[in-house]
Amino acid sequence: MSRSVWKGPFVDSYVLKKAEKTKESGRNEVIKIWSRRSTILPQFVGLTFGVYNGQKHIPVNVTEDMIGQKFGEYSPTRTYYGHAADKKSKRK
Amino acid sequence: MSKDRVCVGAVAGAFGVRGEVRLKSFCADPGALGDYGPLSSEDGKQSWDVKITRPVKTGFAARLSGVTTKEGADALRGIRLYAPRDALPALPDDEFYHADLIGLEVLDTGGALLGKVKAVLETGANDILELHVPGQRETVLLPFTRAVVPTVDLGAGRIIADPPAGLFSDDGDPDDEGDRRQGRKAGAKGAPQD
Repeated sequence: MSRSVWKGPFVDSYVLKKAEKTKESGRNEVIKIWSRRSTILPQFVGLTFGVYNGQKHIPVNVTEDMIGQKFGEYSPTRTYYGHAADKKSKRK
Repeated sequence: MSKDRVCVGAVAGAFGVRGEVRLKSFCADPGALGDYGPLSSEDGKQSWDVKITRPVKTGFAARLSGVTTKEGADALRGIRLYAPRDALPALPDDEFYHADLIGLEVLDTGGALLGKVKAVLETGANDILELHVPGQRETVLLPFTRAVVPTVDLGAGRIIADPPAGLFSDDGDPDDEGDRRQGRKAGAKGAPQD
């Protein structure tokens, strides 16, 4: 069963506070968070969060299409290096 | 690691008794293994034309030129197959092969060395450059975005980065410990609703 709409999206309160503080200061910094369960809100767009994966903080640059997902979805807990071969990356 | 060739697969052993081999593909599209022309061994002394015949349970069955017997195919077991870097198709701007990025030096906007690219990780959001920082055991993760990595100069073998604060220096925000604990406890609330 999905979450009731009247409750609104779930966010740990410290994540909101930290994001607001960083937005107000206008500083370009990584916001370290441990809350993988928090929902990504529209006011987080453009900020960079360091989402803990149990070992280190993975920098996640929040974009519009990530709204509504949880932070944990963008911070993998397992690392697989594999071979580079012909794999490619796009700079976003 | 040589930059003029990239490892695209490996021979896992013989397949059947008619000289076919079983190949493991390391490519993003596994079936592209046969598209890069003749593949060579690690030392470059041997080279084979690869013709993929069909997909099998753990990879692909393929015919390598000059290999006609099961014994010949078995002898190649464990050999890694390398394609020339030039055989990879050219990419549009802002797209880079991992093989090209790995090993590049990362400098900050002032020209100071930050580290060397150890790996490129995919997270579902932005890709991430994992950096080996000199004199540091832990690696540092750098988001591969235009804002943080404004310049990638493959010719000069370097990347210019403008990392956000707190990425390289663990400045130890005094709130962090409390935040970590709060995240564990039920210190949560719903987002403010408009």
